[in-house]
Amino acid sequence: MKRLIAGAALALMSLTGGAMAQDYPERPIMMMVSYGAGGATDFQARIVTMTAGNEDALGMPIAIINKPGAGGRVGWNWFATQADPDGYTLAAYNVPHFIAQSIKGGVEYSADSFEPIANWGADPAVFVVATDSQFNSMEDVVAHAKENPGKLTFSGAGLFVGHHIAALQIEKAAGVKMAYIPTKGGGAAAMKAVIAGEVMGGINNLSDAFRAQEAGNVKILGVADLERSEFLPDVPTMMEQGLDVDNSSVNFRGVMVPKGTPQEVIDKLAATVPEMFKNDRVAKKMQAGGSPMHVMTRDEVIEMWAAREQTLKELLAGL
Amino acid sequence: MEFIYYFGDVFSPLSFLLLLGGTIGGLILGATPGLSPTMAVALLIPFTFQLEAVQGLILLGAAYTSTVAGGAVSAILLKIPGAPANIATTLDGHTMAKQGQGAKALQLSFLASAVGGIFGVLLLIFLTPVLAQWALAFGPSHLFWLAILGVTVIGSLDSASVVKGLLSGCIGLWLATIGFDDIMGAQRFIFHPALGGGINIIAALIGLFAIPQVLTMFAKGRRTAGAEVIEVQKHSILAAMRELFRRPRALSIGTLTGSIIGLIPGVGGQIAGLVAYDQTKKFSADKDKFGKGHSEGVIAAESANNAMVGPSLVPLLTLSIPGSPTAAVLLGGLLIHGIFPGSDLFDNHPDVAWTFINSMLIGQVLMCLFGLYVAGLAARVAQVPQSVMAAIVLALSVFGAYSVQSSMGDVYVMACLGIGMFFLERFGFSAAPLVLGLILGPIAEANFIQGGMIADATVGKASYFLTGGLNMFLIAVVLASIAYSVWMELRARRHTTKEEAMA
Amino acid sequence: MNRAQHIVPSGIVFAVGCWVAWISYTQQPAEAFLFPRLIATVFVVLAAWTFGKAVLGLSKVGAGVSRSMIINLTPGLLVALIYVFWAAKALGFYTATAAAFFILLSLYDPAPHSEVWTWIRRGIITGVFVAVMYGLFALLLNVYTPREILF
Repeated sequence: MKRLIAGAALALMSLTGGAMAQDYPERPIMMMVSYGAGGATDFQARIVTMTAGNEDALGMPIAIINKPGAGGRVGWNWFATQADPDGYTLAAYNVPHFIAQSIKGGVEYSADSFEPIANWGADPAVFVVATDSQFNSMEDVVAHAKENPGKLTFSGAGLFVGHHIAALQIEKAAGVKMAYIPTKGGGAAAMKAVIAGEVMGGINNLSDAFRAQEAGNVKILGVADLERSEFLPDVPTMMEQGLDVDNSSVNFRGVMVPKGTPQEVIDKLAATVPEMFKNDRVAKKMQAGGSPMHVMTRDEVIEMWAAREQTLKELLAGL
Repeated sequence: MEFIYYFGDVFSPLSFLLLLGGTIGGLILGATPGLSPTMAVALLIPFTFQLEAVQGLILLGAAYTSTVAGGAVSAILLKIPGAPANIATTLDGHTMAKQGQGAKALQLSFLASAVGGIFGVLLLIFLTPVLAQWALAFGPSHLFWLAILGVTVIGSLDSASVVKGLLSGCIGLWLATIGFDDIMGAQRFIFHPALGGGINIIAALIGLFAIPQVLTMFAKGRRTAGAEVIEVQKHSILAAMRELFRRPRALSIGTLTGSIIGLIPGVGGQIAGLVAYDQTKKFSADKDKFGKGHSEGVIAAESANNAMVGPSLVPLLTLSIPGSPTAAVLLGGLLIHGIFPGSDLFDNHPDVAWTFINSMLIGQVLMCLFGLYVAGLAARVAQVPQSVMAAIVLALSVFGAYSVQSSMGDVYVMACLGIGMFFLERFGFSAAPLVLGLILGPIAEANFIQGGMIADATVGKASYFLTGGLNMFLIAVVLASIAYSVWMELRARRHTTKEEAMA
Repeated sequence: MNRAQHIVPSGIVFAVGCWVAWISYTQQPAEAFLFPRLIATVFVVLAAWTFGKAVLGLSKVGAGVSRSMIINLTPGLLVALIYVFWAAKALGFYTATAAAFFILLSLYDPAPHSEVWTWIRRGIITGVFVAVMYGLFALLLNVYTPREILF
C-alpha cells in the first residue's frame, strides 16, 4: 500500500515536472535569504521581490525564507545540497561572501553550484567610528594602527564576508596590523559594538552606516569602492585617502538558482527579473531605505563572479 | 508628555479596528503552539505593505504585544510554551491547570501581563534616553557573565534532582554547539545534514515540550470518555485581581526584572521570564510550593515577559539597532515605509513613533480585557478529549517546526528531540533546564570568544572579564546565586536523609 | 525495581557524553572546540555520576516505563513516526495530516468502533481540523508547505 501511494506520488511529481517549463511559474516562488529577518540583505530582498506578483513581472508572489547562520554558510549549504532545482526555489547571493567562503573551504558549494539570474544591489563596505571618536579620517586610523600594532580593534560581521575582505585589504594597503573582531549576529551587532564603544571602529554596510549616521550615532570615514556613493557624496573613498582598496569587498546582492534548474526556467527568470528590479515602486522604496541599487543582467553577473573569484583567491592565498 | 497629544490617532476608526484585529489575531496566533511572536510579526509584515506607515505599525505593535501574552495560553493549558519567554509559565501554570485551576491561571497571567506590559511601555515613553545608555552598557564581558548567571539557575529549575537538572542543562549546552560555529565557521557535530543549520530554538522548544505531551497522551491508551477530562473550576475575575494584588512581591520582581533584562540587546527577551521566576522563588516565603501550582510563579513569569516588550524596543527606536529578532522584523516594517528609527523617527515622524508606542499601551489593555473574557472559555481547551488533543498538537508541532524556516530538517530535529525527551522525562530529566542550556550556550560562547579577541588586542583577558563595576556586580550576583543554591540543597538534604535511609 | 530501567537511559546519556568529549578533544580546529570541550568535561562528569547512581540502584526520581504504557504508546508512536519522517514530505502536509489525524483518532478515541456515527464524527473532526490548518497557514499566513497530492 505504501509503495502504491509512493508510486502515485512519484507519477504525479513527474507529471507536474513535465508541464512546468511552459507554464512557469504556476505557483508562488520562495526565495531563501541566508541572513536573519531584518538584516540588510533580507530587507532589500523583500523590497525587490514585492512586485513579483504583478502581471508584467512573474505573475506569482515570491515569499522570503530566512536560513541564517555562520555568516551565510548554513543557507547556501542548504541551497546547494537540498533545494529542488525546479525554479520555485531561488536564493539571494552575497558576493564576495559565498565565493570567499568556498575558497576558504569547509562548505559544500562553490561558484559553480549556482546559476546567477540577476543582480539588484551593490552595498560597499564603509569604515565607521563612534561620533565621539578621536579619528576623523582613514589617515588618523592608519597612524594610530602604526603606533599600536595589533591593538586597534574594529568590528565586522564575521570572517570571510565582505567586511572581512575590506579589513584585509585595508591592512594590506596600509601595511599595518589591526585587530579585526568578528561579531555574531551580523552587521547590526557589529554596529552596536561601535556605537557602544566596545571597539574603536568597524567595517559595516553603507546602507546601515548611512542610517546610523542619520541617527547621529557614527561617523563614516571612508568607502571601500571605486567611486563615492550618491548617498554619501561627502565621504571620500579609500583610494582618495591613499589606501589601495578596490571594490572587491563591495557586497553585491542578487538572485540565483541551484545548478540543474531547467534552462527554459533560467532564461525566463533572466529576462524578467532585471525588469522587475527596475520597477519605480521598488526604486523608490530602496532609495527611501538608503539602499544603493545596481541592476545587472545574468551575463554581467557571470562575469563579475569570475572576476571576484580571481581577486579573492589572490587575497586569501596567504591566510 | 508628547505622547498624549497623539492618543487621538489610535482611536481613529481604521486605526482602532487594526488595533483590535492585531490584538485578537495576535492572541490567537500566540496561543497556537508552534507560532512564536517573531514569526507572527514576520508573517504580518506583508499585510502592512497596503497600509500607511502609522497603521502598519499599529497592527505590528498590537500583534507583538498580544502574541507574547497569548503564548501563555498554550503554556498553561498544554504545557507547550509558544516562545522561550513562556517557558517559566509552564512550570506553575500547567500544574495549576491540571489541578482544575486553568481559568484562574489564565486570568492571573493576563492580568500580570497587562501590569508588566503597561509598566514596560511607560518606561519606554518616559525613560528612553536613559535606557538607551543602559542597553549599550552591556558589552561582551557583561553578556558573558549574564549568560553564566542564567546557567546557575539551571540546576534548581523544575527538576527533582539537582544533578539531573544540571545534566539536562549540559545536554542543552552541547546541543547548542551543533552546527557551524558562528565566528570561526568550523563545523561541529554535524552528523546528519539536517543539523547543518544547528538546532533551531523554536523547533527545539516545540519538540521538547509538545511531543512528550503527545506521547504521554498516547501512553494513556484508549480510555473511556469522562475519565480523562480535566475539570475546570470557575474563577471570578475579581478574585483573580485580589489574588494578583495579594502577591505584590511576585508582581514587582517580575515587572522590574523583565524591564531591566528585556533591555539588553540579544539576550533579554529569552531569559527574562526564567530569571524573574527564579528570583521570585528565592525571595518567596513559600519556596516549596513553586512548581506545584503556585500562583506567584505564573505572576512573576508573565509580568516579566510582557514587561520586556516595551524596553526591548529601546535600542531599535533610539539607536536603530534591533535588540531582538522581533525588533529586527519591526525594523524591516519601518524601513519599508522609508522611516529610519533613531532621532529621525522622533524628530520627523513623531506621529508614527508615538502612535506606535500608544498602540502598544492601548494594546496591553485590550489584550487583557479580551484575554480575561475568553479565559474561562479557553480553559475548556483542556477538556478536549485526549485523542483529539494529541492529534491536534502533533499536527501543529509539524506545521510550526516547518514554518520557522521552511525546513524539513527542523521537523526531523523537533521529532527526535521530542521522542528523546519523552523517555528522559520518565527518568527524572526535565525539558526546562535543557532549553535554558540551549538558549544560553551560544550567548555565553560567542561573547566569550568575541570578548577574548577584544581583550587580547587591548587589556588582556583577566582585566577585561574581571574588572569594571558592571562585571564585578554580575560576578557577585553569580556567586550569590550559586551559594544560595548550595545552601538550600544542603538544608534540604539534612531534612530528607532520614526518609532516604528508611527507603 | 527501577534499577535496570534507570541504567539504560543514564547509560545512553553517559555514552553520548563520552562521544561528545571524544569528538571535542580530537577534532580540529582547536579554537572552535574550546567551548565544546568545557561543556563535554562537565557533561561526562555529571553523566558518570548519574550512571554510577543508577548502577548502584540509588536513582529514585522519575516514574520509569511500564509494560502497559509501551503497549498503549507503540501504535501512536509508529503512526507519528511515519507521518513526520515520511508522509509529511512525500504526500504533502495537508494530505498526510488528514491521514495521520484520522488514524490517530481511530486508535485512541474511546467511542465504539462498531457504530457508523463514530466514523462519521471522526471524519468530520478531521475535515474541520485540516480545513482550519489550511486556512490559517496557507491562506492567511502564506506559509509554503510541501504539497504533493491534493492541495
